[in-house]
Amino acid sequence: MSEDHQRLLEKYEPKEIAVITAQPQVASAHFSPCGRYLCAGGYDRRVRRWDMTTDRPRELASLGGHDGWVEAIAFHGQTLYSADTWGKLVAWKYTAAAPSPVWTVAQAHEGWIRQLAVSSDGQYLASCGRDQKIQIFRADNGEPVRQWFVGQDLFCVLFHPHTGQLVSGDLHGQVNIWELGSEDPVRTVDASVLFLQHRLQDVGGVRALAFDQAGKILTIGGTKPKNGGTVQGTPTLLVVDFESGELRNTLEIGGPADCFVHMVRHHDAGFLMAVTSGTPGNGRIVFQRPADAEPFYSNKNIPNCHSLSLHPDGNQIAVAATNRGSNGNGRPLNANGDYIGNYSPIHLLAFSDVVQSEQASRATVSKSSTS
Amino acid sequence: MAFKQEVNMTNKFRCPQQEHQISRRRWLGTTAGTTVASWGLGGLIQPSVAESLRRDHKQVLFIWIDGGMSQLESWDPKPNTEFGGPFRSIPTSLPGVYISELLPQTAQIMHKLAVVRSLCTQDNSHSAGVGRIQRGDPKDRGVTYPYFGSAVANLLGPGESALPAYVWVKPGSGGFKHQDAGFLGPQYGALAFGDGQAPSNLSRPEAFDALDDQARNRLREAANRRYAQNRRRKVTDANTYVFDTAQTLMERSDLFDQSTFTRQELQRYGEHDLGRHMLVGRRMLEAGVRFVKVNSYGWDTHGDNFNGHASLMPRFDQAFSAIVRDLSERGMLENVLVIAMSEFGRTPRINGHIGRDHWPEAWSLAMAGCGLQSGVVAGATNPLGTWVKSEEYDIGHMFHTWFHALGIDARHREYVINGQPLPIAHEDCHAIKELLI
Repeated sequence: MSEDHQRLLEKYEPKEIAVITAQPQVASAHFSPCGRYLCAGGYDRRVRRWDMTTDRPRELASLGGHDGWVEAIAFHGQTLYSADTWGKLVAWKYTAAAPSPVWTVAQAHEGWIRQLAVSSDGQYLASCGRDQKIQIFRADNGEPVRQWFVGQDLFCVLFHPHTGQLVSGDLHGQVNIWELGSEDPVRTVDASVLFLQHRLQDVGGVRALAFDQAGKILTIGGTKPKNGGTVQGTPTLLVVDFESGELRNTLEIGGPADCFVHMVRHHDAGFLMAVTSGTPGNGRIVFQRPADAEPFYSNKNIPNCHSLSLHPDGNQIAVAATNRGSNGNGRPLNANGDYIGNYSPIHLLAFSDVVQSEQASRATVSKSSTS
Repeated sequence: MAFKQEVNMTNKFRCPQQEHQISRRRWLGTTAGTTVASWGLGGLIQPSVAESLRRDHKQVLFIWIDGGMSQLESWDPKPNTEFGGPFRSIPTSLPGVYISELLPQTAQIMHKLAVVRSLCTQDNSHSAGVGRIQRGDPKDRGVTYPYFGSAVANLLGPGESALPAYVWVKPGSGGFKHQDAGFLGPQYGALAFGDGQAPSNLSRPEAFDALDDQARNRLREAANRRYAQNRRRKVTDANTYVFDTAQTLMERSDLFDQSTFTRQELQRYGEHDLGRHMLVGRRMLEAGVRFVKVNSYGWDTHGDNFNGHASLMPRFDQAFSAIVRDLSERGMLENVLVIAMSEFGRTPRINGHIGRDHWPEAWSLAMAGCGLQSGVVAGATNPLGTWVKSEEYDIGHMFHTWFHALGIDARHREYVINGQPLPIAHEDCHAIKELLI
């Protein structure tokens, strides 16, 4: 490892400090903008909340009323937006003790809403779905602003942090950049390397999008698929100059069994944080600078990772995963003979310099109390 | 009184009469040149042949979904439950019956279908499951039972078309799959048409004219007769069968000409492999082939199951609903037994690759047509979809049901091998009465 990487690792190596167990599984877990809450959308129609300011994360009343899975969650200020696979979109004041919906759009999409994004000024909420549409709503009241048909199953939407442009990523590996008033994309980035037509199946697609803080680099995540069915593929990040659309680097951050990049984030310190999952028991957490050939951190000990969220204080991350031993063709039964499902460990990890400074601080306190 | 389907397994070479009641050679000699040549392009059936097919020619369309279609994303959805997945269920043309939202076109023809939701089979691996499901999972008696296609080819014979009795339209390569026939002998194997294309080198080389070709065939037949004198009958029969079949198919290149599918047909069935192959399958049925298997691969969704089914199911939905509609509209459905199934279903629990694994404990299949009630759902699973809560049906029950639907009494009819009687379907199982007319 280079000295450079060693320095990064000393500061940013994540150390597990706690694990929250969510059963049944959750699709993703996110820190709120205020940092006090961790919110997770799951396979049981709920958004679950934990208070992270107590000694141990304390579960609060969940947000109900959804159908299907809640995969899409976004925040702005004290509002949480959640969307489900049956097409419902809800806004909540997530800080309330028993939150009720601020507004609801019962059928925002025809079926599965894949992702939500809020514009940086908080005015607009964008959603995309399996119905191949992008919808824009007023974030404060849910009033529809406009919608348009893209013509492909859409996995991702993301607002540019400064220009207000919207970026979408689809199943066939096309990334479109839209002005909110335009009918056609103003630019398109080819990410078709993340797509494969295999037999009857459309495999892969753009599964993750992220901007750096300046909005100059767009990172596109997915897999380079080898096959359908039991999908295998190399988890891949395409690092693109947003203005020119030029591909700066292609980062392959795992082996074929690690498969999908499910989420990627730019850390302000200039590196990418990504999580992958593939063949059960595989998948990893990877930290890598966009221009580097190798990651400075790649952790395979936390497999089946589906989401990553950076705490607003910049000191810790939450990684939602699926438990080990999650697969198999047999009959998994508990002691009562009941069929058992899987669960999600949500790993809370603090960066090493934070852990070290806390340890040092505890040592100092301990020393002074002894003396 | 038991009807015995005798099969040669010794060098005594006894030949059961019924196997030759309609001789392939006789048909080649008497009908191939006339009937076959008179059939038009596009698979339309000559009226007299169509009448005959409608009257007594039972056929099978066996749609094999290789790898394991998820019952929860198809025939037995459990929306808003722990293992139900992300999709909704939708109402169908059968009041009170819901199926996955991924089958919108099939939902409109549900009143034509017969669905079983209580399959509970034995094997959770592909290697064992594919074979045992298609052989009916008979008791182990030290012999290899035939696949359903080979069994039907043997029990009902090829019919009047002079075409092979058991064909398999599949992605990838083709060839003669004699292994399917088990103890029946290789002539009851499947003739596979890779990508729905004619076997390679089927056409007579331009350098030979028809007379030369006839002369060559006479020489071959003479050589075959001499070769057959000291060899096992089933081997020589198979050898003859291959040449006879090739000769027949040479006359029927129209069956493989996919350029004659209309734009409308392709739009209805889908321009993907399954859509095109189903159209080829329809042509084979129209031409009188007894048993047509159409195959789709790639359903083993241990990973990314829901996105996988989101693209797989609509293509199945399109092709499946189109062929059931077409067979119905052409008056063929009452004589064609349509079966769509896999080797097992998929686990309720969702693994770390967001996939579902193999699950033979509680799964589903769909059928339509010949001998079956339409608009019926047999059996049920519990609210979570984990176990069967009604009577469990194994594949043996399905074999009894299918044979019954085809007019074959599986309780009394037997194969005889080396003098040993063998049931044609598992003797501990029975036909599912509520499915049968």
